[in-house]
Amino acid sequence: MSRTVPIVYTIRGCDACVKLLEKWDAEGVAYEERRAELSQAVLDEARAYGSAVPIIVWPDGRVEQGFNGHIGCYII
Amino acid sequence: MPKESVVTLDRFDRALSYADYLAGVAVNRDQFEHNYHTVRLTDDDVAFFKAAAARPSGPAKILAIAEAWCPDVFRGLPVFARIAEVSGMALKVVARDENPDIMDEFLLNGTARAIPVAVFYTRDHRYIDHWIERPAVAHAEIARVRAEFSAAHPTVDVKTATGAERQALISFFDARLPQHYVAWQVETIREIRELLASAENRTAGRPAMVPAQ
Repeated sequence: MSRTVPIVYTIRGCDACVKLLEKWDAEGVAYEERRAELSQAVLDEARAYGSAVPIIVWPDGRVEQGFNGHIGCYII
Repeated sequence: MPKESVVTLDRFDRALSYADYLAGVAVNRDQFEHNYHTVRLTDDDVAFFKAAAARPSGPAKILAIAEAWCPDVFRGLPVFARIAEVSGMALKVVARDENPDIMDEFLLNGTARAIPVAVFYTRDHRYIDHWIERPAVAHAEIARVRAEFSAAHPTVDVKTATGAERQALISFFDARLPQHYVAWQVETIREIRELLASAENRTAGRPAMVPAQ
């Protein structure tokens, strides 16, 4: 079954990540959060998509980095 | 630095040793180990740090602020560890995101929570000075490579590139930066020597120490 919600790669303590999720939570946007600092596998996954969190992978495959002009935290 | 630092003696003592920190990291342990083994301290560096640590008002303790996911941390923290080892300084590590009040005392330019940070203290826990993130030469080289990439790919935004454009960006950086990482470690050592020499000269009012060669 294909995904219907975006995956967002984050790191605790990343301001841009926190602000993005606060906005989505306020708007009722459903998402799957994957914390990159908690596992090498997730960090490697995130690195395959982008250089800095937050990284959003939309259900249609589009990838976005950063939030509202803020780049977030570099992971590579 | 505020007069009342949140880095109390008790909090310093409760922070993790480098070995314990490394044992607990969830990511990038191989990068920490690789970078630890590439640190090269000259005989002169070793003599400098040993002499500094031996002075009553010299740096006897280092508090490092870190997060293991951060590339500057897995490149820089092993340098602090080697300096501590050769000099006898006590190195303790705290996680940035579990200690925001500590991080807030050592912000880059007063705003950025840049890591790693190495904070130097005397044996009796008096603040000496601190060093942040990466050496100046690394900032300059990253900026230069970014500018070169932008000149070669004027339509690509280096901050938000994804997909094939991002792969091109990574390949471009990978071809130009990793060969400098050992030199950045050398520069980190030189900058820390300079920092500590300046601090000593400032506080002691004695004849100038010889900074890094």
